Amino acid sequence: MRTSLFTAGAVAIAAALTLAGPARAAESDAQLSVLHGVPGLTVDVWVNGERTLDDFAPGTLAGPLALPAGDYDLAITAADAADASAPVIGPVKVTLAASGNYTAVANLDAAGAPTANFFTNDVSQIDPGKGKLTVRHTAAAPAVDVLAGGTPVISGLANPNEETLTLDPGTLSVAVAAAGTTAPVIGPADVTVAEGTHTVVYAWGSLADNNLAVAVQNIEGLHSAPAGVPGARSGAADGTASAGQTAATVGIGAAVLLLLAGGVAVSRKQPALRRTR
Amino acid sequence: MKPTTTAEATRRPPTRGPRISEQVSAAPIAATAVSMAILIAGCTAPQETAPPQPLSTESTGTGSTVTETAAPQPPTQATAGPVPAPAIPVRPATPQAQTPKDPAPRFLTVAGTTINMPIVEVGVSPDGAMEIPEPFNEAGWYRFGPAPGAAAGTAVVAAHVDTTSDTAPFSQLKSLEPGTLVTVQREGAAPVTFRVTGVELMAKDAFDGASIFRRDGPPELKLVTCGGRWLDEQQDYGDNVIVTAVPA
Repeated sequence: MRTSLFTAGAVAIAAALTLAGPARAAESDAQLSVLHGVPGLTVDVWVNGERTLDDFAPGTLAGPLALPAGDYDLAITAADAADASAPVIGPVKVTLAASGNYTAVANLDAAGAPTANFFTNDVSQIDPGKGKLTVRHTAAAPAVDVLAGGTPVISGLANPNEETLTLDPGTLSVAVAAAGTTAPVIGPADVTVAEGTHTVVYAWGSLADNNLAVAVQNIEGLHSAPAGVPGARSGAADGTASAGQTAATVGIGAAVLLLLAGGVAVSRKQPALRRTR
Repeated sequence: MKPTTTAEATRRPPTRGPRISEQVSAAPIAATAVSMAILIAGCTAPQETAPPQPLSTESTGTGSTVTETAAPQPPTQATAGPVPAPAIPVRPATPQAQTPKDPAPRFLTVAGTTINMPIVEVGVSPDGAMEIPEPFNEAGWYRFGPAPGAAAGTAVVAAHVDTTSDTAPFSQLKSLEPGTLVTVQREGAAPVTFRVTGVELMAKDAFDGASIFRRDGPPELKLVTCGGRWLDEQQDYGDNVIVTAVPA
């Protein structure tokens, strides 16, 4: 039964997940990922009362699922519970906007109690040549500083907050330390920030239980094109002059005058006429 | 309970990603185009003998694809549970190993021209434009995009069209005939050969970066420089010359 569902693909997935709304995946679908950040607890994840993730293990990331915009009930139960009536986390109601991108996280709050957090992922285009790094504090730990190469880049980040940096692409040696200190409680670990990719790093686990860890989610394809290709230096390759810069400059000066005169004449006759090339 | 096969499990997920793309990217691209037009107004007509081609208004393949880097893994199989779990990619949320890069281009040769020059890797200038190598006899490959020989997308190689006093090798691009062979030697890999399919002039005041810098879709090589008329006021040419070549 399960096997046959697997072969049916995304449409069946959406149908199985969706009790209300159209069953077909659409361009306006929201994207939902789910991260399990509660140590030592294998769970099932339920969406609108349907078991969606079975035997979901700590430190794993599921998705993204394409879901039509709307409200959803998320609940987390012990693994293989018969239904969602006795959740260990939730149920929480989340609202997915059309084309939105979200990560629901099951994690510990600062005091160590299981909870859920719902983050909206920034999937706006990133400037060419840059990458984004977001750090989310989802661990049972006090406020932290995030260090890159030993230098604090984020200060005083508390559960369940997040902070985003736009960076040159590269691999960072990232460590997490108690706020105001530099002695790592997590890491250092290599985190790659790729061009056009939004990398989301989660600090999860428990400081008291000595099982703090990082989880990484990458959202790719947010690149944008450079604003131009400036291959010019002097005008020496101008189409109208080949005898060097001086000639080119003089020639262009005359040409500009001609164009100005021509432009005036043309604009009188037909204001809407566009210069053709 | 029969386990699902790997083939079935790995076939599913990738189709989801690209759908969000156009939605995410359309507005920013339009905004960029508008601001470019404002910034670089007054571009004059080029003086090319080749008939100009209409600018593509399509932004094919430039959309964002929102996908996870990890190869999706078959979902965990439970041994019990009355309700079937739908197939959702699940992976350990550990830092992912870098996907191997395609070999970098190192040398460019265009048949029938004096274009015979090393290729260096370039990125983005502080002003957001593609970096161009200073030496007139060096070409720059946009290292954030696909490499020549990659399975998909456009590999963009650009160079100056002139020096402070003379033309540079890439000034010959505008005259390339369709069918001209372009060879790119690569780092630690066999050379790849491309065949020119066309030369396009794109006005800089209507620069459509999305059509040049494409990360998916059919593999192409784009050789880019400046061209058209020199505009004294802007200290720039009015157009970009864009050669498109496909794997030969």
